[in-house]
Amino acid sequence: MHGRPAGLIRRLGGAEIAAVAIFIVAFAIPISTKSVLVYSVLNQVLVGVVATFSVWIMLRMNLLSFATPAFMAIGGYTVAIAGRYDITDAFLLTAGAFIMPALVAVPLGALVLRLRGTYFVLVTFVLSQIMQLVLFETPGLTGGSNGIAGIPPGTLLGTELASNQQVLLFACGLALLATLITALLTRYFRQHFAAIEENEILAESLGLVVWRYKALGFVVSAGVAGLAGYSLVNMLLTAHPSSFDSITAVDFIAYTIVGGRASILGPVVGSSLLIYATNLFGTHGQYAQGLYGVLIMVVILAARGGIVGTIGTLLRRRP
Amino acid sequence: MPEFLEAAIIGVGLGAQYALLALGFTLIFGILGVVNFAHGGFYMLGGYVAYSCVSGLGLPYPLAVLVAVLATAALGWVFELLMIERLIDDHLATLMLTLALYLIISTGVLTVFGPISMEFTFPVGGAFRAGPIYVPRENLIVLAVCLAAIAALYLVLFRTDLGRALRALADDRAVGMALGLRPRLLFPAAFALATGLAGLTGALVTPILSLAPGVGDPVLATSFLTVILGGLGSLGGAALAAFIVGIVEAYTSVYFGGSAGALVLFVMVLLLLVFRPTGLLGRDVRGA
Amino acid sequence: MAAGMELRVESLAKQFGGLRVFSEVTFSLEPGGLMGVIGPNGAGKTTLINVISGRQAPSDGHVLLDGRDVTGKPAHALSRLGVARSFQQTNIFRSVSVRENISRAVRFGQRGVQPGLDRLLSEFGLTERLDEQSDKLPYGLQKMLGLVMAFATRPSVLLLDEPAAGLERGERSRIDAFVQHVREAAGCSVLIVEHDMDLIRRLCPRVLVLDAGAVLADGAPAEVLARPDVIAAYLGDAEAEAA
Repeated sequence: MHGRPAGLIRRLGGAEIAAVAIFIVAFAIPISTKSVLVYSVLNQVLVGVVATFSVWIMLRMNLLSFATPAFMAIGGYTVAIAGRYDITDAFLLTAGAFIMPALVAVPLGALVLRLRGTYFVLVTFVLSQIMQLVLFETPGLTGGSNGIAGIPPGTLLGTELASNQQVLLFACGLALLATLITALLTRYFRQHFAAIEENEILAESLGLVVWRYKALGFVVSAGVAGLAGYSLVNMLLTAHPSSFDSITAVDFIAYTIVGGRASILGPVVGSSLLIYATNLFGTHGQYAQGLYGVLIMVVILAARGGIVGTIGTLLRRRP
Repeated sequence: MPEFLEAAIIGVGLGAQYALLALGFTLIFGILGVVNFAHGGFYMLGGYVAYSCVSGLGLPYPLAVLVAVLATAALGWVFELLMIERLIDDHLATLMLTLALYLIISTGVLTVFGPISMEFTFPVGGAFRAGPIYVPRENLIVLAVCLAAIAALYLVLFRTDLGRALRALADDRAVGMALGLRPRLLFPAAFALATGLAGLTGALVTPILSLAPGVGDPVLATSFLTVILGGLGSLGGAALAAFIVGIVEAYTSVYFGGSAGALVLFVMVLLLLVFRPTGLLGRDVRGA
Repeated sequence: MAAGMELRVESLAKQFGGLRVFSEVTFSLEPGGLMGVIGPNGAGKTTLINVISGRQAPSDGHVLLDGRDVTGKPAHALSRLGVARSFQQTNIFRSVSVRENISRAVRFGQRGVQPGLDRLLSEFGLTERLDEQSDKLPYGLQKMLGLVMAFATRPSVLLLDEPAAGLERGERSRIDAFVQHVREAAGCSVLIVEHDMDLIRRLCPRVLVLDAGAVLADGAPAEVLARPDVIAAYLGDAEAEAA
């Protein structure tokens, strides 16, 4: 097939269009079913995918970020604290959940991203540990080890988002927004990110101000994580330190790697499958991470492209 | 006044423990270019192996510690040889592999021992008193053993052929290989040396602090802070930074309580990265 | 034709920890000039290029472009100012096409399209292979692609790190063509680090000898290469190269 439609798809990105389509279709699920199980898994997936996008954006430039839980916490607590002051407008809260972690990412990125990639990994890891401490040590602001409970439901264009169905639909909306942001960023700067990922020394010697693109990615990644934090807090109606445990960073990393780091569909597939699989563990959810470990090893050693990448390779080989 | 001196002794003790961990981490990073995310896992494993030997097999504690060291070193050797070696030049891949190993170790420990803290106590009780100063004997013994281990490590690295070879490879692998050094033998050795040290620290410290799944995470974070402070890849820097971190932690916890120490250290490291990114004794850090 | 720039290096030094790579390196390259840098392995030649091009910061000394102090600026800044370099190992974006490689070089450099680029591409037979994946090219062509990419950023000063390394004897004349083209079409000054003495003798009116981190000699090749101390410095290396 030739002509304008094919050209347009190539420019916007087939995978990106597919990802956006998936989240548009997702709206149909809360409308067509009331199953508690479906609601629970879908909500977890919607939160997880957004957090995984946050990791994926940085991984496009070969940088592994462990800061996702910390930025999620900033986003989530911003919403919770705003709720204390009776700010419930969903648009305002969404903006706040995105902007607050992004603001923190600006100085942090400027500091760390001019150094070797290893520093980024180490500092983001420590950041999530520190965030937990900050949450516990500031009870006046964050409620300390009790967190902030009883967050008022958000209001979207006058309607209160109180019922489970409304909350889930809103989560679909946040996920769609995050997908659009992620897709636009990675698509528009595809050349730059790809050059940095493949050979950043060469890219810099050709004149690319590499650290600026890394910083841009980091700021957007932080904002997207903030949206995930909003979604999580919205789901639980509580902001609690345990929701933002630093170890969850590993989960999102696992979803990206196992799903496939080369395509935006990777985080979607990875988080959906692994979150669903974790639910199958039932009460033994803590063993899920062992499974993630094994899967990561398999992917790194034998199937680098992850699920999406491997499927893509197999499809290309078809005669 | 007595708290001041006690804090100093505790701080030096912590410093010695952190030094063993940071030195091992730096060995792996400097020689293999690998960020060992499983470092905290080996620490934890050292504790659990020693615990199993003592309570399961009835071995005397010193022997249990030795077994723990050998076990963690052996696991490190095998892991490096079978997995890391294949992807040694891909830093992100090796990092992911060590992360995966950590997840497997963590879950394994959880499965075998359960989530609750183990009853693992140091066999020597009582305290050392000198006037108003009071320091538990266990801290002093651990300090002594750690200092001995650091000294032994120094001797190996700077006074033996193996050590010289390892340091040469760390400095410039291409040149090292051109000189006939064999990474296939030396890399697993370096990895095993580092993981053995982590296991040693775990076997010594977990009876004093606590032994439960998850004790590895703060250990990893402290190791990261320490090596950034000391300068990525610098052994001297890692040792120096470890003592600074230990002393800062001891004093902040005595005088301020809570987790102020970790926060202080993190802010310190961030400020350091602004003014002196190479750390105390590090080298070129420029990225792109 | 683009104006060239003068590159001046004053007392440049670099050391890592206790290891002194080079020190007191001073020379000046006039706009449109051409000079070679030679020396035994480990003399610090690649590090010199790294420092001048901004990939590493010097420990001491200054780098000046047309009198302007650019010491310590990072690689992207120096590239934007017109200093480009090639790499000893082939350094291209292996997973994408030749066309995409060139496109990135032009786009990242942000100095506009280099006139004379097309002629260079066709001279090296790259025009027919624009849509091939770059790592499918034969080694010699990959090397030339790397050189062309450096040129595509519209530099005024080109630092070439062992451009002939890994090329067959027959392919080495391409380097001559490349150097001639960049100087004629764009007025670039060129600094070549090389081991291939024939190439140096052929091309460079002037050569700098770096040995054990210090400048041993600086002058015309006929004169410099006949000096006993230069020959002695190379004695060990020459045998290795002949082998």
